[in-house]
Amino acid sequence: MNFEFYLILESIPKMLAGLGMTMQLLFLSSFFGLSLAILLLLMRISGRWFLCFPAFMYIYFFRGTPILVQIFVIYHGLPQFEFIRESIFWSILREPFGCAVLALSLNSGAYVSEILRGGYLGVEKGLHEAGMALGLSKHHRFFYVTTPIAVRLAIPAYSNDFISMIKATSLASTITLLEMTGVARTIVAETFAPYEIFIAAAIIYLVIAWFFQRAFGLFERHMSRYIKQ
Amino acid sequence: MNDSKQEPIIILKDVCKSFGDFQALRNINLEVNKGQRIVVCGPSGSGKSTMIRCINRLEEHDSGKIIVSGRELTSEVKDIDAVRSEVGMVFQNFNLFPHLTVIKNLMLALKLVRKMKKSQAKKVAMGFLERVRIPEQADKYPIQLSGGQQQRVAIARALCMNPEVMLFDEPTSALDPEMISEVLDVMIDLVEDGLTMICVTHEMGFARSVADSIVFMDYGEIVEMKPPDEFFENPESDRTKLFLSQIISH
Amino acid sequence: MADLSGWWDDYLWGAMTVLKVFGVSLILTVIFGLIGATAKLSKSRIAQKIAAAYTVAFRGTPELLVLLIFYFGSAITLTGITHIFFPETPFVDIPPFWAGSFAISLIVGSYATETFRGAFLGVDPGVVEASRALGISNVHTFFYVRIPQMWRLALPSFGNHMLSMMKDTALISIIGLEEILFVAEMATAVTYKPFLMYMIVALIYLSITTVITLVMMGLEKHANRHLEVAP
Repeated sequence: MNFEFYLILESIPKMLAGLGMTMQLLFLSSFFGLSLAILLLLMRISGRWFLCFPAFMYIYFFRGTPILVQIFVIYHGLPQFEFIRESIFWSILREPFGCAVLALSLNSGAYVSEILRGGYLGVEKGLHEAGMALGLSKHHRFFYVTTPIAVRLAIPAYSNDFISMIKATSLASTITLLEMTGVARTIVAETFAPYEIFIAAAIIYLVIAWFFQRAFGLFERHMSRYIKQ
Repeated sequence: MNDSKQEPIIILKDVCKSFGDFQALRNINLEVNKGQRIVVCGPSGSGKSTMIRCINRLEEHDSGKIIVSGRELTSEVKDIDAVRSEVGMVFQNFNLFPHLTVIKNLMLALKLVRKMKKSQAKKVAMGFLERVRIPEQADKYPIQLSGGQQQRVAIARALCMNPEVMLFDEPTSALDPEMISEVLDVMIDLVEDGLTMICVTHEMGFARSVADSIVFMDYGEIVEMKPPDEFFENPESDRTKLFLSQIISH
Repeated sequence: MADLSGWWDDYLWGAMTVLKVFGVSLILTVIFGLIGATAKLSKSRIAQKIAAAYTVAFRGTPELLVLLIFYFGSAITLTGITHIFFPETPFVDIPPFWAGSFAISLIVGSYATETFRGAFLGVDPGVVEASRALGISNVHTFFYVRIPQMWRLALPSFGNHMLSMMKDTALISIIGLEEILFVAEMATAVTYKPFLMYMIVALIYLSITTVITLVMMGLEKHANRHLEVAP
C-alpha cells in the first residue's frame, strides 16, 4: 500500500475552495450564534418567567439533540410547510448553505448562552455590591462592571466552543455542501484513497484549530493583564 | 529490659539521601532493638521524617544500608513488600481512605495483603478498633470523625497488619490541642504492651515520659541520642542546647 | 399524527440500535480513557508522547471525518488484503456498527483521557502512600484506592462526555448504519412529512439525553455521600 503524496498535492486547490466555505460557515454561524446567545442570556437572567422559561426550553432542546439531527430537521423538514415555502425566507431556506448557517447558529446560540451565563455568574458578588455602593444604576453596573469581567471569564470556554464549531461545519457536507469535508468526500469517492485525502483534511482542521487556540490565548492574556497571576 | 543478644530490629548504616542539591540525610547510623521506644526530634528540615520514610521505602535512600528484621531493604519489590509488612506507619495527616468506612479502612490490607476472608478480617479489625477505644465508629466514614478519632483509626489500621515496629510521623501535629491527649494516650497504651516504636514528634512531655531514647537530629545528622533524663538535663552538643531552649521556653 | 402509526416500532428499533452503539462505546471509551490517562501520567516519555498525539489528533479532528477515515480506510485496507487471497470479492468492510462505535470511542476517549488524568492528579497522594505503606501492591492500590477516588472527581466532566457520545451516535447513519435517522428517511418517503419524522428523532434523542443527565445527577449524589460531614 503506497501513500500517494501527489494525490494530495493535486487535491489541494479543491480543498482550499472547500476551506473557503468552511470559513464562511464558521464566521457567519459564530456571529449569529453569539448574537442569539446574548439575547438568550438576557432572557435567562431577566428574572421574568415568560422570558426565562422559553429560553431555558430552547437551550435544553438544542443542547440535548445532535447537531446532525438539527440540520436535517431544518433542511429536510422545513420544506414540508407551505407557509415557509411561500415566505420571504424561502430563498435562504431552500439553499443548503442557508440551512447550514441557520442550524449551526441556532445550536451555537444555545451553547454559547450557557457559557456566557457561566461567566456572568462567575463575577464576584462583592463587585456588584461595590458598584451599588457607588450609586451606579443597574444598567451601568451591568455594562461597565459585570460584562467586561464576565467576558474575560468566559473566554476559555468560548474558545473551546469556537473550535467545536470548526468541527461542526464538517456536518454541512451531509446536506451536499462542499466545504472541506464535502470536498474530501467527493475526491475520495473518485480516487478511493481515503487515508491520504481524509488525513490531509484532518491536518488542515488541526492547523486551523491550533491557530484559533493561540489567538484566543493571546486575547485572554490581554484581557487578564490587570489580574495578578 | 531487652535481650541484648538479639539482633536489632532496625539497623541504619551510613545512610545518605539527597533531594537534588539538598542533602537531607548525612551518614545516619541508628540501631533500634525490639521493645524500644525511640522519639526523634529536631528543627524543621532536619531530616527526621525523611529518615523514617526511608525505613519503609516511601523514600529511597541513596547510599548506605537499611536492614529491617534481618532483611536488607533494596529496590527489589520482594524486599520492599517484605519490609512493609513488618513496619507500620502512622501519618501526620492520617491518610485514611476517604471512600471507605472505618471498618473497611482496616479490612482492606487484611484482605488484599494477608488474604484473609471477609469475616475473619472483620473480627481482627473490630479487635483493633476496640484497642483504640472507638469500636462504635466502625460504620462511619472518616469525614464524620474528629481528627483525634481519625488518627486513632489510622493507628488501628497500621496495627491490623501486626507489624514488628510502628513508625509515627508527627502523629499529633495536625490535631487541635484538645485532641492530642486522646491519641497520645493510645500510643502510651500500646508501648506499655510492648510495642516497638519510632516516633517523630514535638510533644516533649510525651517524649520525656514514654521514650527510652531520644534522638536529636539537625541538618540531616543524628547529633545526640540519649535516654530522656540525660537528654533534657545534660545535653552534650550546643545545637541540642539551642533547640531545647527554643522549645522549652513556652 | 395518524401518519405515525405503524412507524412506532421502527423508531423503537432504531432507538435500540442507537442505545447499543452507546453501550459499546461507553465501555470502550472508559478503557481508552484509562489507558490514555495512565500513559500521560507514566514516567515513560514515549507513552506520554503517544498519548499526547492521541488527544491532540482526536480532539481537533471533526468527528464525521474520523468516522469516515475509520470506516472507509479500514474498508479499503481489508478489501486490499482480501484481494490478495480472494481476488473475486467486491468489497469488504467492518460493519458500520463496530467501525462507528470504535471511532466514537476513540474520539470521546481522547476527552476522557484528559478528564481522567486530571482526576487521578486530584487523588490525595498521602492516601496512596498510606496504601503502599500497608504493603498493598501497586496494582491493588490502583484498583482499590486510586480508581474509587478518581471516578468521583471525574464524574461531572465524564457525564458531559457521555452526552456528547450519545449525540455522536447520530453520525453513524452517515456511514450506513440503519438506525433512527434511517427510519426517519424511510418514513418521509412514504408520508411526505419530513419535519414530523425528523422531530421525532430529535425528541427521542432528547429523552435519552435527559435520562442520562438524571442518572448522572443521581450518581454524583451517591458518589459524594461519604463526603457529607455529619451535622
